[in-house]
Amino acid sequence: MLKDITLGQFFPGDTIAHRLDPRTKLLLVTLYIVALFQAKGWLSYGIITVVTLSCMRISHISLKNIFKGLKPMIFIISLTALLNIFYTQGTPIIPGWIITWEGIARAIQMVLRIVLLITGTFLLTYTTSPIALTDGLEILLGPLKKLKLPIHEMTIMMSMALRFIPTLIEETDKIMSAQKARGADFETGNLIDRAKALLPVLVPLFVSAFRRADELAIAMESRCYHGGEGRTRMKQLVMAGRDYIALLLGILLLAAMIYLKKLGI
Amino acid sequence: MSIIKFEKVHFTYPGDQMESLCGVDLEIEKGSFVAVLGHNGSGKSTLAKHMNGILAPTEGRVLVEGIDSSDESRLIELRRKVGMVFQNPDNQIVANVVEDDVAFAPENLGVEPGEIRRRVDEALKLVDMYDKRRHAPHLLSGGQKQRVAIAGVIAMEPDIIVLDEPTAMLDPLGREEVISTVTRLCREKGMTVVLITHHMDECVGADRLIVMSGGSIAADGRPAEVFADIELMEREGLTVPETTRLLYDLKKRGMDLPLTALDVESCAKEIVKQLRG
Repeated sequence: MLKDITLGQFFPGDTIAHRLDPRTKLLLVTLYIVALFQAKGWLSYGIITVVTLSCMRISHISLKNIFKGLKPMIFIISLTALLNIFYTQGTPIIPGWIITWEGIARAIQMVLRIVLLITGTFLLTYTTSPIALTDGLEILLGPLKKLKLPIHEMTIMMSMALRFIPTLIEETDKIMSAQKARGADFETGNLIDRAKALLPVLVPLFVSAFRRADELAIAMESRCYHGGEGRTRMKQLVMAGRDYIALLLGILLLAAMIYLKKLGI
Repeated sequence: MSIIKFEKVHFTYPGDQMESLCGVDLEIEKGSFVAVLGHNGSGKSTLAKHMNGILAPTEGRVLVEGIDSSDESRLIELRRKVGMVFQNPDNQIVANVVEDDVAFAPENLGVEPGEIRRRVDEALKLVDMYDKRRHAPHLLSGGQKQRVAIAGVIAMEPDIIVLDEPTAMLDPLGREEVISTVTRLCREKGMTVVLITHHMDECVGADRLIVMSGGSIAADGRPAEVFADIELMEREGLTVPETTRLLYDLKKRGMDLPLTALDVESCAKEIVKQLRG
C-alpha cells in the first residue's frame, strides 16, 4: 500500500530531459511555476497544458506515473475544487442555485493549476537523480555560502532524506504488518482512533530511523566523509547547447504568459 | 610484514562496567585473509571498529601501517587505507544510483573527476556489478547491495578491507556472492582482508582464523587447526563445520582420521582411505 508513493522518485532513462543539466532543469521548473501562476485565461492554461504534456512526452513519463504521484494529493485537489465551485459569485447554472458557471470555471482552472504544478515538479524529480538535483542546487545556491549558510550540509541532508524514503517506507510496511499480525487495527474507527493506532507504528519507526542514522554516519565517516571542504565530484556539471536552448524556451514561455495575462486571455 | 598491529588493546564502551576488549595483542600480515569468529558480545565487532579508528583504545594502541589510530590528525589517511563494510547494506549506501554511491568515497578524498570515473568502473567490475551501475540500490537484492558497498570501499583503493559481519542479513545465495567476491579480492588483488563473521563455513577459505571470546583471543591459527580443537569450539558455543564434526565423531569411535580436512572432498578422501586401509 505505502509502496505506491512515488514522491521524490527517479526513473533512470536516456531522454534529452534526462541529459539536461540539473541546474537548467531547476531553473526551468522555477520559470515554469512562475509562468503557471501568470496564467489567467483559458488560452494561457491551454498553452501551459500543451507544454507540460509535450515535456512528459519528451521525457518518456506516462500519465500513469503522474496520476500515481497525484494520488496522495487527491484530498487537497478535491477540496480546492469544492470550495471554488461553491464560493464563487456569478451567474448560477440553474437560477437559485449556489453553483455558478464562474465557480465551475474557476474550479477547473484551480485544479488544473495544482495538477500542473505538481506535474512540473514531478517531471524534475522523475528525470533527475536526487544526487544530480542536490548537486545542481548546491551550485545554484553556492553564492549563499559566502553568507555562512550551510549549503553543502543542507543539500547532503536532502539527498540522504531522498535516499532513505524508499527504505523507510519499506520498513513502515513491515512494522504495520507485524502490528496487524498482533491484532492492531489501522482501517476502522474515526480519524482520532486511526491516528492513535499509528502510534505503535511510529515509535519503532523512529527508533529504527535513529539507529539507521547512527550507522549511516559511521559508514560515511569510514568512507572519509569530512564535510564539503575539498570535495570533488565524479559527474561534473557542464552546460551544453541544449541547456541554453531549453532555458531560452523557458524564458519565452514566461514572457508569453505575462503577455497573455496583460491581454487577459 | 604486519600491516595491522594491536598492542595490548583494552577497550570499554562509555558507561559500561565490563571491558569489551581486554588486552588484545594481534598482528595481521599484509595480503592475508583473516577471519574472526565469535559469539555475540565476544568483542569481534569492537575489534573491527578499532581497525579504522571508529573506536580508539582506552589503553594500548592500534597501528595500521605505522599510523596510530588515536591520532586524530591522520584519521582520514587511516580510513583511506582501511575500508570498512558493515552489516546492514541499506545503512551504508548513501546515493540513489549505484555508481554515485561508489563514487562517494573518492569524492570525499578530493580525487579528480576522471580518475573517480576510472576507479568507480573498475570497482564495479571487480564486484561484478558493472551492469547494474545505473540502478537504484533499493531495487537490488541483499547480496548485490552488499557488493555495491564493497565496491564503494574498493574505490578508495584501500590496502585493507575489514568486513563486519557482511553476511549476517543475507540469504545463502547473497552470502555466497559476498564471500567469493571478498576471497577474490584477497587472492587476485593482494588486498588484506579481515572478515568478521559468525558463520563457520565462511572461515574455511581464510588463511587464518581467530576466535574471540569475552574480549580476548581464544584461538588463533589456520582454520583447519582451529576447528580441529572441537572441545574449545564447543566451549565457545560455536559449531564446527559438518566435515570436521563427522571426522571427529568417527575418530571418537576409533577411526584414525586427521581433523584438518575441511572441504567435503578431502574429508571423503580421508574416510575412504581409512576404510580401504
